[in-house]
Amino acid sequence: MRREQRTGVDLVVELCGLTLRTPLIPASGTLSREALGEVEDVYGAMLPKTTTPVARVGNPPPRVAETPAGMVNSIGLQNPGVESFLQDLDAFDLGVPILVSVAGDTVAEFSWLCEILSGDDRVSAVELNLSCPNVERGGLAFCAGPASVEKVVAACRAAFPGKPILAKLTNEGVVENARAAESAGADALTIMNTIPALTVDVRARKVLVRGGLSGPAIKPVALRAVHDVSGVVNVPVIGSGGVVSGTDVAEFMLAGATAVQVGTASFVRDPHEILGEFTVYLKENSLSAAELTGALRSIRPALRGGGDI
Amino acid sequence: MKFYTVQVEEREELGSYTLLRYRWTDGPVEPGQFVMARAAGYPATLDPFLARPFSVYDYDAKVASLLLEVRGRGTALLDLATTIEVTAPLGKGFRIDPRLGRAALLGGGIGVAPLKILGRRLDAMGVPHDVFLGFADEEPAAVAREFPGAEVATMDGSAGTHGTVLDATDSLQDYGAVYACGPNPMLAAVKLAAGENSLCQLSVEERMGCGNGSCNGCVVPVRGGGYIRSCIEGPVFHAEVLAW
Repeated sequence: MRREQRTGVDLVVELCGLTLRTPLIPASGTLSREALGEVEDVYGAMLPKTTTPVARVGNPPPRVAETPAGMVNSIGLQNPGVESFLQDLDAFDLGVPILVSVAGDTVAEFSWLCEILSGDDRVSAVELNLSCPNVERGGLAFCAGPASVEKVVAACRAAFPGKPILAKLTNEGVVENARAAESAGADALTIMNTIPALTVDVRARKVLVRGGLSGPAIKPVALRAVHDVSGVVNVPVIGSGGVVSGTDVAEFMLAGATAVQVGTASFVRDPHEILGEFTVYLKENSLSAAELTGALRSIRPALRGGGDI
Repeated sequence: MKFYTVQVEEREELGSYTLLRYRWTDGPVEPGQFVMARAAGYPATLDPFLARPFSVYDYDAKVASLLLEVRGRGTALLDLATTIEVTAPLGKGFRIDPRLGRAALLGGGIGVAPLKILGRRLDAMGVPHDVFLGFADEEPAAVAREFPGAEVATMDGSAGTHGTVLDATDSLQDYGAVYACGPNPMLAAVKLAAGENSLCQLSVEERMGCGNGSCNGCVVPVRGGGYIRSCIEGPVFHAEVLAW
């Protein structure tokens, strides 16, 4: 609100009944408790790293590798488990809604986590991490197809009454999975997660990191997914994938996103700069954030004389 | 992560390394702390995408310096840059207890970087210390001239003692404290050589994504299982914490 008064630009968006003072949300696993002091007044909601029923030690290093305009990570959902997570959750209270990312190896684990979180007043919504490409154990491939997506979302819907459920989907089969998540009761869809990727160390002749690609390299893929999904579902879409600038935020919202997640970019930029650039864009175009969602012009404007084609 | 744009005030070639000096007046630097750094130009250039971690080499309340080894495109661009972007000093540095007596400082390759500022701090605290530096060959070993009195070893014998940095030392167990930075196999060997008699602290060199604890990319294995982050809980660890 303070920022809004300074700039005269309306950044507020509504997401599943939650009022977000800016459309920016940290992507899960990219904002630590130690970094919270750097992000005050930037985000419309908080979203800490994915929690699981019990602690996970994560994958052995190396876990990150730089790639052209991006990075590949394979963290393996390292986290202290939900009990410890809830003990530390107050640190994430920056006066905005807290969304909690959850992951399990089975439908039962997902719904068990949702049940625990449903009784916690600090939790405004859950985001189901249905798509983490690093976790491939268990018999169920959650990101594989609409049948499993529907099963998990339906179970969580029953376990988490009265508050919004966001389903975070992978790019592969995104339209079918989005329809399945919506029909099972998801209130919003986060599109998308990292893309499966590999890096190779030629000197050692070994795989360096096999994991998920993030960063600006994947932005066009994410934009396409957001555009395609928002055209076929009635629930709001949260764009995620390669956002590093205010222009990127505007692109995702024009493509159909109601809110936008900032992930890897927060490693290399101060997120205040991203919000600042987005604010300038809105001001220059005399728009509010909420007006931007899906506001792509469907017909290409007539080319002016001398324009390049 | 917040980056500060600073001018490179001085560039000096030290063997196969480059020393970059820049003005830093935004707060203290503890020996062993690091910064994330990259050539200026963000966000117009998104490639290379990540900044690189560097131990602070030296700091005198106005000018900080980084020791750089060109290993790829990110460091090559940094080596050429006249303007760079750096974070504030990050992580936990060496914990110094002057009561422990004489200290041994060991550096391997680019791992000599934090020993300069550490030696300066030990001098200021009146802690006597010996410096041991190990390199592949004589070219990088030229940086040793910045460490007067240091014992040098090279793997090919082209300068100093023929062998590893440990071959240049007598018994590390005679020291009250041991501080080391270098590649993991060297640190594991130092830990072993230091034994239980010395307080041994190791500064690890890990690939990093963010530098502020968010990505969990730079972890090291700890005794008892699991991993901890070198950017927040480190990069300097008490040797007994690490599962090497």
